[in-house]
Amino acid sequence: MNSRQGSEKKNEEVHRPSRATRLFIVWRKLKKSELAVAGMGIVVFMSMLALLAPLIAPNYLASSGRYRYPPSMENVFGTDNYGRDLLSLVIHGARISIYVGVTAVLIELTIGVSIGMIAGYFGGIIDEILMRITDLILTLPTIMMLILILSMFEGAGIDVIIMVMGILGWPFLARVVRSEYLSLREATYVEAARSMGASNWRIIVRHILPNILSVIIVLATMDIPWFILYEATLTFLGFGDPLSSSWGVLLQNGTLYLDSAWWIITFPGLALLVTSLGFNLLGDGLRDALDIKVRE
Amino acid sequence: MTMKDYVIRRIIVIIPTFLLITVLTFAFVHLAPGDPLAIMQRRSKLTPEMKEMITRDLGLDQPLQTQYLIWLGRLLRGDLGFSYLEKRPVWELIVVQVPLTLELMLVAETISIIVAVVLGVIAAVKHYSIYDALASLSALLGYSIPDFWLGLIFILIFAVQLKWLPGGEVRTFGVSFPTPFHALFDHLEHLLLPALTLVVVWTAYLFRMVRSAMLEVLTQDYVTTARSKGLKESVVIYKHALRNALLPVVTYVGYSIGFLLSGAVVIEKVFDWTGLGKLMVDRAEVRDFPTLMGLSIVIAIMVLVANLASDIAYAAVDPRIRYD
Repeated sequence: MNSRQGSEKKNEEVHRPSRATRLFIVWRKLKKSELAVAGMGIVVFMSMLALLAPLIAPNYLASSGRYRYPPSMENVFGTDNYGRDLLSLVIHGARISIYVGVTAVLIELTIGVSIGMIAGYFGGIIDEILMRITDLILTLPTIMMLILILSMFEGAGIDVIIMVMGILGWPFLARVVRSEYLSLREATYVEAARSMGASNWRIIVRHILPNILSVIIVLATMDIPWFILYEATLTFLGFGDPLSSSWGVLLQNGTLYLDSAWWIITFPGLALLVTSLGFNLLGDGLRDALDIKVRE
Repeated sequence: MTMKDYVIRRIIVIIPTFLLITVLTFAFVHLAPGDPLAIMQRRSKLTPEMKEMITRDLGLDQPLQTQYLIWLGRLLRGDLGFSYLEKRPVWELIVVQVPLTLELMLVAETISIIVAVVLGVIAAVKHYSIYDALASLSALLGYSIPDFWLGLIFILIFAVQLKWLPGGEVRTFGVSFPTPFHALFDHLEHLLLPALTLVVVWTAYLFRMVRSAMLEVLTQDYVTTARSKGLKESVVIYKHALRNALLPVVTYVGYSIGFLLSGAVVIEKVFDWTGLGKLMVDRAEVRDFPTLMGLSIVIAIMVLVANLASDIAYAAVDPRIRYD
């Protein structure tokens, strides 16, 4: 902000409401949709669980000595085959899922936005090559690529899974960012900035990027549940650390006791569904509140 | 340009894409930190002789680009490689599983499209009604549900608790059926749960697509014109609006094959459905790299063909498409 010239800043203030006012308008619209509020409630609740897990359930790995006990007063979700309290495990699973969703999206954003802005702003042969690769990754089955790459790691940890998902997850975002740049690079205010001698880099980052932030925020919110589901799927399929309390690992464990302990597969799956639903509701709500139509 | 030229051009464009896929597949396996041979060794106890044979056969002692060229050369001659663990050509492993994957996907996809179009059109026409709200909310639920977990819940309810349906595999083994009809019925019983799982998830996606496409078309001028001409509402909806709304859906279906296959991979594993997806997961467990690479190539070709087919279908139905 500081580097911005005084006259430019003044100009902005004249033409549009301040950032705080705009945020307030969006918030007021978002608040009107009950579904969006419910989604936000779920997201906040799950994030709190994730943050506070060590305080709420400190001894989540300790065996109670009661193996595969059905839900009861002491163990609300029952116990698993190692005698661990399933509720505590599910709470710690939230920690993993939220961490996965947020970090994978950050990696995706870094790659997707960079590629999209370069392809869309400069166009030409760079655009052609980048979009060929983007389309290719977009059409290939994600799970197949993930399995192929993760097979190369012996006991891949959560960070490897996050990294690989982030590296493969960017194409859709890149396409959208590209088309935004493609249309905005002809905008009058970009012309003005260019005629005043602003460098390409400055135009890309300072002039266009702030105007498409809302699109990026909506897409990022909508991608978080994807990463959460993919991580659970991969750990369910046996990639990743079999000793972690990831919901996918808990579910895989539960498949062995389908006929004797229904609660082991039921509760971690429900947690997964609720979390993913929360992010999707919030994403849909934000999309409507920010009045965004995704251009591809 | 004529339709024929367009098709030929689309086919030619596939060649560089295919080469890029081979590079990616090769790079995924060979550039990741980890020596394929060492990983195979740890997972499946190769004998020293086998190790030496694999090294010689794949040129593992050669530089990477040579290894790639050896592999690509064989691929172009239709040789997908050799599974050292199964001691059989990769092609043989794959070819027996293809029909089951295609069957599962075709059945689930057909049902999903029909259900989604019907529900999506009703939801769009009755925009803001209670029906629209309920259908959209259910779709969001289907969109958020982890597919493999839904499969597990179906197994838990219908196979374990109620014992109505088998919870896995493609047919009952160790039983001789009196007529082929009985065998077919048995197979369909096994197909029901995995197909239903995929239908729930896919219908949710397609519904959202059909509904928003239809909503957009309904605000177009030509729909207003059709209405103001005094045409019956059903004619306006089915003849004028639906046909145009289906265009983006056609493309979406063609291009979502990769996404659909992703779902099928996991569902096949959950239901022990011996298709390509289960093969992929099982082979990944023992780190059978030649089979994994061959499988990726076969799946990629299926995806490319599906995309091509949808492009051609799109060009054929939409007169507005200029073939360039």
